[in-house]
Amino acid sequence: MAENKGKYRTEIQQMMFVSGETADVALETTSMIESIVQQQVMEMLTRATVLAARRGVRTISTDDLIFLIRHDRAKVSRLRTFLSWKDVRKSAKDSDDKGGADAAADDFDLTANDPTLGTGPSVGTRNSKNKKAKVGLPWDVSSFYSEQVPEREDEEDEEEDEMTAATLARLKQADERTKGMNAEEYLHFSECRQASFTFRKGKRFREWAGFGVVTDSKPNDDIVDILGFLTYEIVTLLTEEALKVKAIEDAHKRESGGDEEKRGKKRRREPGLFDPPEEARTPVGARHIQEAFRRLQQPDLKSRYLSHVPKGNFQRTLKLI
Amino acid sequence: MSQTPQRPLPNGLHRAASALNGFARRAPSLSRDASAAGSLGAPAAPGDEEEREDDPVQIMLKARFAQAETDIAALFGHDGQRARTAAPSPSEAHAPTQPGPDDSAKTSAPPKKAARTIDEDDYGDDDDEDEDEAEQQSPLKTKGKAALPNGVIPAAMRSPAPASLPHIARTNTSASTEQAKSSEDVRKQLEEDKQAAAENAKRAFQTMFFTFENDRDAMLEQQKLDELDREVENEISGDTNASPNAQATSAPAATTQGTLGSADLGASSLTLKHLIARIDLKRDMVRASDNQLRTLISEVRKGRSKWASEDRVGQEELYEAAEKVLMELKAQTDSVQPFLQRVSKREAPDYYNVIKTPMDIGTMIKKLKQFTYKSKKEFVDDLSLIWNNCLKYNTAPELPIRRKALHMRKETDKLTPLIPDITVRDRAELEAEERRARAAEADESDEEDEPIMASRGRKAPKKGGKSGPSAARKAPPSVEVDDQSTPQPDTKPPIHASASGLRNEYLRADSEAQDVSSAGFNTPPPAGTSTPGMNGGSGAHGSQADVMEIDGIGGSALGTQQEDADEDDADFKTWKQVTMKDRAAAAAERNRLFRGEHLNPDEPAILRSKAGMRRWMRQQKMLSADKSAQDADDAADDGVGATSETLAEGIEKDEDSTLPDYYHPLSSIPDMNSNWAWITDSEGYVVPQTEEYMRMFPKDTFRTPGGALAGRIEGNIRQMQETRKICAKIGIVKQMQIQAQTYQNQFQKYDPEPFAEADIGPVVVSEEGPLMAPWVCRAALKRSVGKVFYHAGFEDFQPSALDAVTDVAGEYFRKLAENFNCFREQPKIDAVTPKFNYEEQVLHSLHESGIDLEGLETYVKDDVERLTTKLSVVHERMKAHLADLLRPALGDHAGADGVGAFNDGSEQFVGGDFAEDLDEDFFGFRELGLADELGLETLSVPLHLLQNRLHSGYQAQNQGPVSATGMLFTPPPAYDAISVETLPNHIGLVQDFFREKLRKNHDETLVEDEDLPQKQRFPKPRLPPTGKISSPRKRPIREQQQAAKKKRKLEEDSKLAPPVGKLKLQMPDARENGAEPEKGDGHADGAMLSPESLTAN
Repeated sequence: MAENKGKYRTEIQQMMFVSGETADVALETTSMIESIVQQQVMEMLTRATVLAARRGVRTISTDDLIFLIRHDRAKVSRLRTFLSWKDVRKSAKDSDDKGGADAAADDFDLTANDPTLGTGPSVGTRNSKNKKAKVGLPWDVSSFYSEQVPEREDEEDEEEDEMTAATLARLKQADERTKGMNAEEYLHFSECRQASFTFRKGKRFREWAGFGVVTDSKPNDDIVDILGFLTYEIVTLLTEEALKVKAIEDAHKRESGGDEEKRGKKRRREPGLFDPPEEARTPVGARHIQEAFRRLQQPDLKSRYLSHVPKGNFQRTLKLI
Repeated sequence: MSQTPQRPLPNGLHRAASALNGFARRAPSLSRDASAAGSLGAPAAPGDEEEREDDPVQIMLKARFAQAETDIAALFGHDGQRARTAAPSPSEAHAPTQPGPDDSAKTSAPPKKAARTIDEDDYGDDDDEDEDEAEQQSPLKTKGKAALPNGVIPAAMRSPAPASLPHIARTNTSASTEQAKSSEDVRKQLEEDKQAAAENAKRAFQTMFFTFENDRDAMLEQQKLDELDREVENEISGDTNASPNAQATSAPAATTQGTLGSADLGASSLTLKHLIARIDLKRDMVRASDNQLRTLISEVRKGRSKWASEDRVGQEELYEAAEKVLMELKAQTDSVQPFLQRVSKREAPDYYNVIKTPMDIGTMIKKLKQFTYKSKKEFVDDLSLIWNNCLKYNTAPELPIRRKALHMRKETDKLTPLIPDITVRDRAELEAEERRARAAEADESDEEDEPIMASRGRKAPKKGGKSGPSAARKAPPSVEVDDQSTPQPDTKPPIHASASGLRNEYLRADSEAQDVSSAGFNTPPPAGTSTPGMNGGSGAHGSQADVMEIDGIGGSALGTQQEDADEDDADFKTWKQVTMKDRAAAAAERNRLFRGEHLNPDEPAILRSKAGMRRWMRQQKMLSADKSAQDADDAADDGVGATSETLAEGIEKDEDSTLPDYYHPLSSIPDMNSNWAWITDSEGYVVPQTEEYMRMFPKDTFRTPGGALAGRIEGNIRQMQETRKICAKIGIVKQMQIQAQTYQNQFQKYDPEPFAEADIGPVVVSEEGPLMAPWVCRAALKRSVGKVFYHAGFEDFQPSALDAVTDVAGEYFRKLAENFNCFREQPKIDAVTPKFNYEEQVLHSLHESGIDLEGLETYVKDDVERLTTKLSVVHERMKAHLADLLRPALGDHAGADGVGAFNDGSEQFVGGDFAEDLDEDFFGFRELGLADELGLETLSVPLHLLQNRLHSGYQAQNQGPVSATGMLFTPPPAYDAISVETLPNHIGLVQDFFREKLRKNHDETLVEDEDLPQKQRFPKPRLPPTGKISSPRKRPIREQQQAAKKKRKLEEDSKLAPPVGKLKLQMPDARENGAEPEKGDGHADGAMLSPESLTAN
């Protein structure tokens, strides 16, 4: 996979920019992030394939992917929002211009990959016939029963409200960051937000993720979209964690033997009115990413279930982040 | 002072003999009276000088003498009775034996008492001696003789009584009778006292626990006593065996087979004389031996003591009393031991240097059985000789043997007054005297016969050489006389001491005793009985110990104090004396059971007997009765005894035992808990009482505790079940919409039962704490896991999955508990403060197991509480959907009764939608002008009115509950079926019609259409799924065929026939069809409106 290295440097840089790393990131860093993301995607695909095989199906479905991240409720919630909006757009497109099926992808690009934005085109379509379809999870209550009945208008899902809290927090953070931006900067920012591993790079992504090797070669479009969303999430998470690591490191340096570096770090951490130009900051290094990854791989409490039962394999499985 | 034995006179006075027999029959009471009388004036002198040299203990004992005396008196009465009843001896041998020469010849042969065949040569000697005796006895026996006849009976019976008993007559004054009477009263009172004392003692036995440690001694002593008896018996029998041989020459005729009459049958010879004479006549034909015959006859004649003899007046009474006294003394187990047997030379070499006339109780018994004693005095003298010998030999005052001797002498003094002062006399002698006293008096015929018998049967006790020594032996009556020169004083000690045969016999007896007793017990050497001689000189403490050891009182550790204490304790003493025999028996029993240190496997098993249990119960009852009243005690005892007898009649012999209940642990019946009783209620069912006394495992431990979370989960589960019910209905509706045909049992009704957790059955546990039943616990956990499964949305699941998850959960909980225990048992920081408090323990263990409070809370909030709302939402949704499916238009806008559903254009009513689009008058309503007439926008029919099939299908599904509700009103009785018989009851209009029908039905009873079998029924009109009524009502196939045929005919006819005729023909056609509905060919007349007409268009 060495030849795959650096395929997504731009996208990763854009994503990191959106996540809060303003400085130019070294190639080494992006490569590391890319490899991490690649590993995660492959792992996800492998596990989903195993799950599908357990059901007796060769092709993985979206449910398999969602099942893999089921414990992260916030992420699941975001994913569902993303999927529902995707459906909305698709149906809207279908109804609006029935003939131009090929153009659908073009229209789709504007905000499709950024469900976190939340605002935008969906507002107008809310009351229309193409209302947002809820993406059901396979373990929802409705799955308890043999008969599937259509939902009704007046039911509200309190769960969704709660789940979107994390999303809203992230939106708020982005909002804060864009407050002081001028038009060009905001344009750049919003362009960066559209960065995706998959959008319009389907073939590249398939090769990169090892489709056909770890799983069926012809996955569903939905799966690719979900993977795109998840990769974006991974990069964001890694970047945020790496920034935290870096902040701690900077604080430690400042305390041990501070130089001018520390001031920059401190200010950067809390962006304010009199921040120095962002170029002055040192970007996140590979070691920060590594440390962030290590932290994210730390086993959580639930992995202790039945830890006393001796198992054959002591190698810890990769944790999906 | 030599007293010669009484001899029967050769010319025996038969009359007197018969009189004596009469006395003998009431011998017990007489003798008792006599002894009582004797006790009045009996001198209790001979203890004075000894008491002077008593040691302090003895003086102390004196203080308790009065109390002990009553006890002893009680014992006397008790034991005396027992001894008398317990010893039916076959021996009526008169022959005095000489122990010395015959000992070697002694065998263990049964005593043979054929010695009655005595030659009459001795009579001459007897006469001489009798005269002496008469002279000597007269002063002595006055008192005794007074008591003997008691004054009353002889006088009343016959006048010559005083004459027949000259000595008695002499003293038998009125005064003496009074004295006798008063003595009788005293005697009675004494006896009552004794009995009362015995009763008290018995009661005390039950309330006081006496240890078993003395039982062994009792057994050994008893063995010794038995041995003594046996020995005496053997000696006597040896003599009797020897004597016939000796006499064989003198009386050869009598040896081989004596006449029966010659055998001493006692008084039986009088009453049974004819029988005896007869037997004698045919003696050679009777195959039984003399002995057998004698025992047979004595069996027949009961009530005679073994001492009874018609030849010897007073013997029975004297010997009864004497034996009683001896038994009594023998029962003084503590003290009598050294005096039971002769002092052997080995033990005390110099004994016979000091003591010239030795005496012991064994010898006395022997003498008693050999009828050596002629008077009370001889007997008493022998007794005191024993004690005095001992005192004389053992001079050291601190010797315990002295105390024993003194004690025994005191006992003897107490007892001797009870012996009647009787001198035994030969009947012959008496009669001779009588005859001498009275002149020649005419004898009656009965008395004539008697002498023949008497003379025949009278056998003089054989004496020869024997009478001499025995008389000599009895000659020294007291110690004082001991040193005096008696005719043959020196001959006797050799006889006793030096007789090697006797010695051998002792040894043999010892070995026998050793055989009998098991290995664990060593019978003390016979020397033990004669320790006085051995230890006489030393008097040291060690010798005391020796004495104790030999006596076998539990070892040398027991000192004199112990013994004193024993003697001090009146209860204990009483206990020992009263129960000695029984205790000995019990100890022997036990002894048999154990060989060495081990159980003897050859012994029969110990079984509880009914008699034992009965006795135990009686004792218990007696004890409880004791609490109430003393007076009622006796009556209660009698009552108890009576009841127990009735209870146990004929089952087992109920032997009386003086031993308290703890000697018979096998017989005791434990108290039964009242809860164990078999109680039945009024219907006869057994009332179970288990719950009241058993420790039941608490209920509901194996069920889900009713917490808030559990309640919520239960609610969720119920909600799911309800929703699933609706789901099932939806499924049915959908299926019916798809399927063209449905079957009656195609759809199973889904009616889930609510979950109910069964508790475990009643379980009895032995202690508090959890129930250790892994399979039950696992089952309970499995149930919980199953509920969690259901709660998670699984309607059913594979058992293997359930098992697997149960195992995992069990393992997890085990680990959790282990962790918790680990944290709980961390060493404490200091004495009181644990390292972790309870919260920390719980939290730590949870954390160790990979769970935290947030996780739990999240689960409760998300997976339980939120699930509740979700479930209710889904439930509402399902309900709405089902309602939509069933009545599509009956939404919220439809109004209360569904009328509103017609208002919104009725697009949903499928009935005519497409037809309207095509501008088609689907039902033909428009053409009919219904729309205008009724003001309707459209003329489509609501679907749910048309969906007959759906409705009926649903109804079939829900038939159960509907029918279960029951009918409000009972249906009216069915009409009578129409038959030929009932036809006239109907109105005339229909009669013809029905008659027609009946005729078609071959005059059978008509059947209603509803009651027809399914296949013959007319099909009901139905609207097909298309909603279009296409054909007229279906007719039965037969009718259809007929109709088709007719139609064809008609068509043909119409072609042929003129139109006028057609009309005419049609009518009869219709009539011919009869049952054919009127609508059949309706298209002919368009004026009639019917649905069918609509279809025609």
